Amino acid sequence: MLDGILLGLSTALQWQNLLYVIAGCFVGTFIGMLPGLGPITAIALMIPITYSIDPSSGMILMAGVYYGAIFGGSTSSILINAPGVAGTVASSFDGYPLAKQGMAGKALAIAAWASFTGGTIGALLLMLAAPTLAKVSLSFQSADYVALMCLGLTAIAAFSNKGTFLKAMMMTVFGLTLSTVGIDPSSGTERFTFGNTDLLDGISFLLIAMSTFALAEALSNVLKPEVKQANSEQPMQIGSIRLSKAEVKEISPAIGRSSLLGFIIGVLPGAGATIASFMAYAAERNLAPKALQEKFGKGALRGLAAPESANNAACTGSFVPLLTLGIPGSGTTAIMLGALIAYGIQPGPMLMQDNPDVFWAVIISMYLGNIVLLILNLPLIPYLARVLIMPKAILTMMILFFSLIGVYLVSFNTFDLFMMIGFALVALVLRLLAFPMAPLLLGFILGDMIESNFRRAMMTSDGSLSIFWDKPLTLGIMLLAIVVLAMPLLSFLRLRKAAI
Amino acid sequence: MLNRDTLGALIFLAFFTAYAVFAWQIPLLPFEEMDAVNSASIPKVYAVLGLIFSLLALLAQAIKRQHNSDAGWPQINRRSIGQTAVLLLLMWVYTALLEPTGFLLATSAFLSAGFFIMGERRWRVLLLASVPVAVVFWLIMTKLLGIYLVPGELWS
Repeated sequence: MLDGILLGLSTALQWQNLLYVIAGCFVGTFIGMLPGLGPITAIALMIPITYSIDPSSGMILMAGVYYGAIFGGSTSSILINAPGVAGTVASSFDGYPLAKQGMAGKALAIAAWASFTGGTIGALLLMLAAPTLAKVSLSFQSADYVALMCLGLTAIAAFSNKGTFLKAMMMTVFGLTLSTVGIDPSSGTERFTFGNTDLLDGISFLLIAMSTFALAEALSNVLKPEVKQANSEQPMQIGSIRLSKAEVKEISPAIGRSSLLGFIIGVLPGAGATIASFMAYAAERNLAPKALQEKFGKGALRGLAAPESANNAACTGSFVPLLTLGIPGSGTTAIMLGALIAYGIQPGPMLMQDNPDVFWAVIISMYLGNIVLLILNLPLIPYLARVLIMPKAILTMMILFFSLIGVYLVSFNTFDLFMMIGFALVALVLRLLAFPMAPLLLGFILGDMIESNFRRAMMTSDGSLSIFWDKPLTLGIMLLAIVVLAMPLLSFLRLRKAAI
Repeated sequence: MLNRDTLGALIFLAFFTAYAVFAWQIPLLPFEEMDAVNSASIPKVYAVLGLIFSLLALLAQAIKRQHNSDAGWPQINRRSIGQTAVLLLLMWVYTALLEPTGFLLATSAFLSAGFFIMGERRWRVLLLASVPVAVVFWLIMTKLLGIYLVPGELWS
């Protein structure tokens, strides 16, 4: 492992990679701060740039953008009560009241330190967990992978917002269906191309990511301008960013506990930063003494530190299944998986052996990203916060332009752009109907992998489906997927019974 | 009355039905016909799964309606709908004109028209926020990174 860490350090500390991580953090913070835009959009906008650089640098840039976007989301949560992403909603519960009390600087400092500690603990645990899990997963066979991917797909739907399980499942299957467009790699048969040669290679993942996230998010901000921006017109009083010893003592245990909780939740497929931050917030409120419990929601320091550390640790944790099994547990890691596949790199147990530079550079760059955010971004917050008063017209048009031209620069085919506009319209309608987008992306990216592994499994079993329950490991994962799938249905039936 | 969850389920039901029709029409190669898994197998599985989930969603809506817990429609004003529709049309026109008129002209026109649609009426801002962006981006791409950007089929 020491060799790996040194290899990661030597790659991540190259001057150009350091520049990429710094640039990524800045761009991510900038985009993450904008209400309505999250890390998936930030990463999607970066993908065309990463295609022109080597895989390690590309992944380092994207990891920086990811962390920056989470940090940026916390900033808009705290300053204007408009979380850029769902993962930072819990941060606004106590962060915004603190800002209203004139302690915005202090709240931002707590958010930065908590994120840094959460990210650091997460990176350390990732260093320990990823190589071990990668070794274990070397024994996995095609049927196990199919089972794991089914678990990932059902979990992301089960952990989606309350009442949207069936919507998430429909979006997942929609993503899977889109992955079947084009020539079947096994037989060469054309599927769903309708005689169009532009569809023979299938639909590009970048096109789907850009249209469903960047374009649709920008357009939905035009369509539903209810995102709180009224406060952003007012000049912001940031105040001091210093923390007293007593304050550090108060938040430290909460940060430690929440980081650990966040990492564990982050590793679980589908759970992610949002659930981690809400759980950490609830846990801290329950653990706090009675007097302090009443302060939660009105500006409790622990109430801000807990979700911040948990969401950062969860972000790091979500890399464990991606790097070791090649299975993304969230929309953000799904988009990174797509980028890796576009590089010709297959994440999974062999990644550590075949591309150790990428594997370790990503892990080390996460830690570097946290340092960059703490040292560079925190002092610059008063200046970066000015992005919140950027005219909406300029912002929207820039996102539309960079999305369209980003896809065009990769394919140089205007058919892709027409298709992208069509998908953006579909995504916009689905957003209005409250359909979640992340399951679609996950389904689309996992679609090819599920099909190829399923075929391989069926070939080894001579066409018998019993391969999915013969081995205890495969059976166990399959049962878990079924339980995850059945849970929301059972709770719906229980609620119905209670209503009667 | 049709609520948004029912409409969403109906849209997906229609989509998965159409997908199923095409999935069952995927032409198989002679050697595939005896295979346990062929080119059409997985699309058929996805079609069935999609139909099951969209029918379950419709069923859930029917049950919910008995308990008067319908999801409401989002509040959107007409001006926003108009702006969004025109922006979508603008993107379509930009794509259509990108190769014939070239990157510089198409992008400058796209950005200034977009700013105008979004409510910006100051001509100086419209020009300064669009032409320099297009020129700087073009310079970075073509001169710095060596990426070819169409000069315009109409002029070459």
